[in-house]
Amino acid sequence: MTEKRIRLETRSLDVGYAKDKAVVRDIGFTVRAGEVLVLLGPNGSGKSTLLKTLARQLDRLSGTVYLKGEDLHQMAAHEVARQMSLLLTDRPRAELMTCREVVEAGRYPYTGHLGILSREDREVADRCIRRMGAQELADRPFYALSDGQRQRVLLARALCQEPEVLLLDEPASYLDIRYQLELAQAMRSLAKEDGLSVIVSLHDIEMTRRCADRVLCLKDGRVDRIGAADEVLTQEYLEKLFGLAAGSLSMPKEKFEHYTRAGGKRLRMGYTTGTCAALAASAAAEKLLNGVWPASVSLRTPKGLRVEVTPEELRDGSDFASCGVRKDAGDDADVTDGALICAEVRLTGEPGIRIGGGKGVGTVTKPGLDQPQGEAAINSVPRRMITEAVSGICRAADYEGGIAVTVFVPDGEELAKKTFNPDLGIEGGLSILGTSGIVEPMSVQALTATIALELRQHAAQGEKRVILTPGNYGETFIKEQGWDRLGVSVVKCSNFIGEALDEARLQGYEEVLVTGHIGKMVKLAGGIMNTHSREADCRRELFTAHAALCGAGRNVCEKLMACATTDACLAVLEEEGIREDVMRHLLDAVSAHLEKRAGGMRISAAVFSNERGLLGTTQGTDRLLAEWSGCAPEE
Amino acid sequence: MRRKIIAFCILGALLVLLAVLNLHIGSVDVPFGEVLRILRTHDNTSAAGQIIWTIRMPRLAAAAVLGGALALAGFLMQTFFSNPIAGPFVLGISSGAKLMVALAMIWGLARGVIMNSAWMILAAFLGALFSMGLILLISGRVRSMSVLIVCGVMIGYICSAVTDFVVTFADDANIVNLHNWSKGSFSGIGWEQVRVMVPFVFAVLILAFLLSKPMSAYQLGESYAKNLGVNLSGFRVMLILLSSMLAACVTAFAGPISFLGVATPHLTKRLFSTARPIVMIPACFLGGAVFCLFCDLLARFLFAPTELSISTVTAVFGAPVVIYMMLSRRKEQIS
Repeated sequence: MTEKRIRLETRSLDVGYAKDKAVVRDIGFTVRAGEVLVLLGPNGSGKSTLLKTLARQLDRLSGTVYLKGEDLHQMAAHEVARQMSLLLTDRPRAELMTCREVVEAGRYPYTGHLGILSREDREVADRCIRRMGAQELADRPFYALSDGQRQRVLLARALCQEPEVLLLDEPASYLDIRYQLELAQAMRSLAKEDGLSVIVSLHDIEMTRRCADRVLCLKDGRVDRIGAADEVLTQEYLEKLFGLAAGSLSMPKEKFEHYTRAGGKRLRMGYTTGTCAALAASAAAEKLLNGVWPASVSLRTPKGLRVEVTPEELRDGSDFASCGVRKDAGDDADVTDGALICAEVRLTGEPGIRIGGGKGVGTVTKPGLDQPQGEAAINSVPRRMITEAVSGICRAADYEGGIAVTVFVPDGEELAKKTFNPDLGIEGGLSILGTSGIVEPMSVQALTATIALELRQHAAQGEKRVILTPGNYGETFIKEQGWDRLGVSVVKCSNFIGEALDEARLQGYEEVLVTGHIGKMVKLAGGIMNTHSREADCRRELFTAHAALCGAGRNVCEKLMACATTDACLAVLEEEGIREDVMRHLLDAVSAHLEKRAGGMRISAAVFSNERGLLGTTQGTDRLLAEWSGCAPEE
Repeated sequence: MRRKIIAFCILGALLVLLAVLNLHIGSVDVPFGEVLRILRTHDNTSAAGQIIWTIRMPRLAAAAVLGGALALAGFLMQTFFSNPIAGPFVLGISSGAKLMVALAMIWGLARGVIMNSAWMILAAFLGALFSMGLILLISGRVRSMSVLIVCGVMIGYICSAVTDFVVTFADDANIVNLHNWSKGSFSGIGWEQVRVMVPFVFAVLILAFLLSKPMSAYQLGESYAKNLGVNLSGFRVMLILLSSMLAACVTAFAGPISFLGVATPHLTKRLFSTARPIVMIPACFLGGAVFCLFCDLLARFLFAPTELSISTVTAVFGAPVVIYMMLSRRKEQIS
């Protein structure tokens, strides 16, 4: 990856309040795009003084600050205002202002003489409010907010200046743990997704750990240290920085506490079996290559959250090391919650990292799954996470040989019986999976509320057309087909297809396209409008019945009933050469049931499978799509 | 937006209504029909016509313009000190102006010079700046808004005491006028004074309106304003100068008028449900005009033919608003 551009740089900068009494001398650092730099240090070490100088609230004593290569203190005020914005500790007075007005105040550098907002200005403000998830606060009076909400609105205000550098002075003070986490996540995502350079002063080590890419430590009037967060934030160094006796700073492992909000409910998130396997593998690799067991291991999940755990069941010999990490499913009821996911690591001669499954990890026996037949049921994302974690440790230890990782789950075989693995054709144990590394729990009520909310939002903008799809597969498929470019909103409705349709009707939608994987959509042919496997299965039965109606014989029906996956059913039908017929038949049934539920909306459906692509559409779908793309064929 | 339009309409209607009432009511009641006729025909020959054109109309205009000016001065000072109970009277600015005007008048009388309006404004402006300077010195030291107000009231008392002292010992027949003036009144204002004050006040009003953009940024606090690109020192100087000029102008013509400058911005904010300068500057001006016409009407007519001083009436209506604000702000107050 190429090095990102330097946004802010200081050279031999002295900061302070009086010429002869510099608070911090000789500060030199750079901050790049997409980076979070934390200023850390004991009280009075000059964090705020430095930040105030960077914000031009204070004059520098000597040295230079460069903002994108220009001398900051020579730049025109409005120039700086368009590139750098602030969030300060003190509560701004905002008499009789709604939060929206506070956010809109950030447009100052862009408005004309009287400060009247143009439509674009309002749109930018709206976007910033949404970006910080503050829609529901927008019309409330600013002074009535809680501390955490206030920070969210102030962040939106700062964003509204469309800056490239964001300075925050002790933004986490007065915040309780929940808002601290929210703030840390917000800062990270502004850096990572929006490419902002974030410079933030903090006094809290935990908070620093949550958000820092790099840390600049101030002590005794100088920069004591600057470096990557993981390197700087060691117990030993922090004790020195804050002047504590050795050992007095206990560094408890960070409890994984992140919350998601859905439909007004607050649910604790957890981490997936894949994350556990990667954590266990990296702990074992560390032991094997460095000789000592780490007290804790951590990794950043693909979703961006950091998970830190203490490995358990430590075992090692001359050529191997193994340990386990307990899965935490958060508030998502799940049989794997609390299960120990273990990894055994061995050094091998041939370079590269090989990953395999041991006891308690299932083996794929049927086609159509993430892994090919015969492989251990460790999905591709966990495999990538394991590889990344282990190879990082190899690099750090200058080890160039190969590593073999075997994932195993001591109780896996028992636990797997309570899952759908046997039906999916995964035998002998659990699957190691997860695409984001994080379990985001969703209660039924919360889910339907979320879907309804999303539908309402689009409807509020006057939309009359919508594409409903159960999940991620559908989204990918929609992109492949180019339907996302039709200008029609795509709403993920999870398994709640019936509820989504009811809500769509209530919100005045007129045209709906339901598209989903055959495994879910086939259930609609039986009128099953909640496609969660907990509610009903019937997929084979529906295939069998419709195949029989299309003239399939008894032995074909028996074969169909023995299939584990819908893709397997399709393979049987293809063998018999009746796939097209049966699909048409099924789709007619799907269409009939959907129309009944849609109550007057114009409704179509498209069905696909991951292996076979588009399998078929209900009658009228082509016409609907043609109309949507604006090139309706003549009657 | 709709609320603001409605609020402007209400204020406009009140202004017209009070203007008509002010022309109608007085030691001689001129019937409404007669008032309209006189206005239409520009009749300034009949007795009623003379009363309306030479006495009531200039007084009406002065009350409206100076009331507006005072309310606007209050709003600017409240913005500057970010203190909702700041105002030209409570901060002692009006009293400072009064003192300087009294000194100038006596100095002039002693030398047989009659002060014209422009000189009066200048003297008042110097006095206002003097008080403002004292207040700025104090505000640099104390952060609490209540202490600042107490200091302002004290400065006001000191200035008033000196004024009284000077007036008492400068025994001259003309001092009677000065005595009346120092209590605050619109009586005796004629067209020539109106012709000076109107362009002056409207020029300041326009300048203030042009400051509404930095003012709105300033409402978030100094640091944010600075970050947004506001030239803080220039902006501050402008606010001080403009608000002092307005307060000075009012004092020069009508003497000190109490509480109007504090109460009107507050009432206007409630009515418009916003504090945005771009709305508040014209709204405060209009609101001040309405409030002042109302109070002047009462001052003239409640105990007619005896006339109350304008401050007596504004205090009755304005002071409770200030007390209410002090109580309700306790919760929101940070300092």
